[in-house]
Amino acid sequence: MSDVVLKNIGKTYLNGFCAIPSMDLTIEEGEFIVLVGPSGCGKSTLLRMVAGLESITQGDLLIKGNKVNEKEPADRDIAMVFQNYALYPHMSVYGNMSYGLKNRGTSKAVIAEKVNAVATMLGLEELLERKPRELSGGQRQRVAMGRAMVRDPKVFLFDEPLSNLDAKLRVQMRMEIRQLQRKLGTTTLYVTHDQVEAMTLADRLVVLNKGVAEQIGTPMDLYNKPATPFVAAFIGSPSMNLFDANLTEKGVSLSESLYLPLPHAHRGSIVWGIRPEHLAIVDEQDADFALEILAVESLGAETLVHGVLKDGSVQGKAMVVRLAGPHNPELNSLLWLSAPATHWHIFDAITQQRL
Amino acid sequence: MTVTFPQKGLPWLLLLPQLLVTAIFFLWPAEQALEQAFYQEDAFGLSREFVGLENFVYLFTDPLYYQSMLTTLVFSFSVAIMGMSVALFLAVMADRVIRGKLTYQTLLIWPYAVAPALAGVLWWILFDPSMGPIALWLGSAGVDWNHYLDGNQAMILVVIASTWKQISYNFLFFLAGLQAVPRSLIEAASIDGASPVKRFWTIVFPLLSPTTFFLLVVNLVYAFFETFGVIDATTKGGPGQSTNTLVYKVFEDGFIGLDLGGSAAQSVVLMAIVGVLTVIQFRFIERKVQYS
Amino acid sequence: MIENRPWLTFISHATLMLGIALVALPVWMALVASTHPASAFGVGHIPLWFGSAGMETWQTVLFEQAGNGIDTPVWVMMLNSLVMALGITFGKIAISLLSAYAIVFFRFPFRNLCFWIIFMTLMLPVEVRIVPTYQVVANLDLLNSYTGLTLPLIASATATFLFRQCFLSIPGELVEAARIDGAGPWRFFFDILLPMSRTNIAALFVILFIYGWNQYLWPLLITTDDAYYTLVMSIKRMLSVNDGDIAWNQIMATTLLAMLPPVAVVIGMQKLFVKGLVDAEK
Ligand SMILES: Nc1ncnc2c1ncn2[C@@H]1O[C@H](COP(=O)(O)OP(=O)(O)OP(=O)(O)O)[C@@H](O)[C@H]1O
Ligand SMILES: [Mg+2]
Repeated sequence: MSDVVLKNIGKTYLNGFCAIPSMDLTIEEGEFIVLVGPSGCGKSTLLRMVAGLESITQGDLLIKGNKVNEKEPADRDIAMVFQNYALYPHMSVYGNMSYGLKNRGTSKAVIAEKVNAVATMLGLEELLERKPRELSGGQRQRVAMGRAMVRDPKVFLFDEPLSNLDAKLRVQMRMEIRQLQRKLGTTTLYVTHDQVEAMTLADRLVVLNKGVAEQIGTPMDLYNKPATPFVAAFIGSPSMNLFDANLTEKGVSLSESLYLPLPHAHRGSIVWGIRPEHLAIVDEQDADFALEILAVESLGAETLVHGVLKDGSVQGKAMVVRLAGPHNPELNSLLWLSAPATHWHIFDAITQQRL
Repeated sequence: MTVTFPQKGLPWLLLLPQLLVTAIFFLWPAEQALEQAFYQEDAFGLSREFVGLENFVYLFTDPLYYQSMLTTLVFSFSVAIMGMSVALFLAVMADRVIRGKLTYQTLLIWPYAVAPALAGVLWWILFDPSMGPIALWLGSAGVDWNHYLDGNQAMILVVIASTWKQISYNFLFFLAGLQAVPRSLIEAASIDGASPVKRFWTIVFPLLSPTTFFLLVVNLVYAFFETFGVIDATTKGGPGQSTNTLVYKVFEDGFIGLDLGGSAAQSVVLMAIVGVLTVIQFRFIERKVQYS
Repeated sequence: MIENRPWLTFISHATLMLGIALVALPVWMALVASTHPASAFGVGHIPLWFGSAGMETWQTVLFEQAGNGIDTPVWVMMLNSLVMALGITFGKIAISLLSAYAIVFFRFPFRNLCFWIIFMTLMLPVEVRIVPTYQVVANLDLLNSYTGLTLPLIASATATFLFRQCFLSIPGELVEAARIDGAGPWRFFFDILLPMSRTNIAALFVILFIYGWNQYLWPLLITTDDAYYTLVMSIKRMLSVNDGDIAWNQIMATTLLAMLPPVAVVIGMQKLFVKGLVDAEK
């Protein structure tokens, strides 16, 4: 049975701003869904509508088959982890974790049992008497998760829970969250603007752009078959190289003089793209085009080469190449590249849909 | 802050006590004062007659009222300036010392807690012409002190008593202001060769001006309204009219003279004055908020 | 310090001590005066050093009668003062907390109007509307009662503003977390808001206690029955006895007793007091 269903959900704020025009999403039981998108695209709005913190102005929200549009957050059987954790500063860790249960009239013994079990799972046993201000960022994060977990809710909601942590801790907590969610099997809706976080955590991703779901799918679907240029650019790092181009009988025309041969029925304006990691260095005679090297970023395990296409009129179109291992090409020299057609992504320039 | 609870009736319930008290004990009496100001009432409250602006006309043609205004101004500014000068001086000294700052502070701020009426009584007795040590000492120094007879001396006395109580407040705010002056500025000035006194007047004092202005307003408001107890417990506005401030006069004309219309007209004038002072204070606070 | 000038430091200390001595002078004098028998004052000036009648005077005024025409002992009036001070303090804090809560955490029509009505009370101190306020209280039959002593004074714009400021600084996510944890408005108020505001409440408590204790004009107007006299206003009644009959030693002892509680509060809770004073002016 599907766990959370969004039917034609929409949100128009009181000031008339339409943050979410209309959204359909069905989340299966135990699924980990990540909402991802640039700042201001409506991720938090959507999550908060599910939480009941923001009123739903259109459509239906079903949790376990029940319509909960009008229900108070506390009655929806959800738990939420906030970006700044929102721990009650005057309560101990134990107090923070037990507060929700206490409000539901759970008996003291049961509360103690549940809190202790969760504390053990999260490694918080030693910290139960501390106040939030006496904890490190990572510990606070764990307490916030513990507070959500003790209630054993139907759905976990996370709003950028890792963005206040440093990079290393972020990676560690990311893995912990994923493992815990697998173990508990609780349906999860997770908001982030970090695409790496999104890719590593999600069973399925929802890429939001201006309140509209551009694509919903598994991380690999989105990587291999981005539905729109927006998704193509958003997923993957560094971003896919995208060019405005034309499809002609001679193939993809990046410019008057540069054609990439492709038999295709479609004709007209397109967006053509290829991921940096799919470009390969080849000899001049096998190359599809040349790149004039402008900058080289050596990261050890890989090298990112930034440059511009070197070809008459298209000169100036920027492109990134991702090479495995260390490379040390000379600046301003030419790099001969091939772009295998199997890795091309072609979108209709008008409809922005994948062809 | 946009997060709110959805309940619609509850906020009214929450506001009800405050609004009720405000309406019954503030707005209603204020409205009554406004109304009474346009009536002439006999002393027993049995009959009254609409007299239009007569009470105000009478008020503003009464030389006693102008005298009271003048008395109030002299009194208020004396209290404000004296209290602030002494407090600033002490605060500068306290800011200089490193050891015992908190002890000094403790020993200087407690008069804040003394009721104005009590402060008045204490000084009243110190200056009592027949038994007060200070009056006797002044007598031996050739000053004939008798605040029962000499209006100026009575004024000096209430100013001293009112100031004494307010020094603590000014001291605390000046000390806080001084401690907020960046050390680096003072160091820069001393490298430029300015003497401590010069540094104070050219650097520190100008930087304190927001505090000073704020205290001036607060002190004036204090001297206007909160010193009622000082005057009532000591001079009762006398001798003659020499310490009869506007606030005291409202009370005296209303409760002792039983001139309800006249007292109400004075109340209305005072409300206007407080209104202006409050707006000034509020403006200032707004500005302070913007700066910080 | 930038330069080390021992004489400047010395002058600072000396000035401060002189200031302290001057500030303490009247209280010192009162203390000395209260230790002499009443007869000592008729014959000349106030003695400058302690006498031996202290215990007796203090005991009399505190437990038997305050003297100078007031038969009630000081401890009864102290109790009245305490009732009034605490009544005003708790009353102000309670209704201000509630109104600030309503204004910050709810949206309802005329919210701003309510805010301005409360603000108006700042412009209307008792002193400027003495007569009509007295009439209102008399009409409500509240003369000579604890309700009459406290209720008319408990509206407070300052306290409301202070709490509003304090509430506005509470992050919205905390409110949301509480809602998800199943806390309704009342639970949120008692479980989260009150504990989080407790230093502000305590600081305000100190200031308001002093304010309440030191009320003078209001109790003077509305109490005519000894049983409701408060300590501060009783001084005025004592002073209105015929000049020759005033027992100065008793007046001094009563005065000192009247200032003792608030002064003790300021000294004992200096930190909260300073915080309260600064907050109240923001
Ligand atoms: N209360 C509100 N009233 C009007 N518009 C709002 C309100 N809250 C948010 N918005 C607007 O709705 C849009 C979506 O906001 P939302 O907070 O959901 O973005 P987000 O995707 O979470 O962004 P971020 O990554 O920065 O957190 C934004 O354009 C925002 O300006
Ligand atoms: Mg957001």
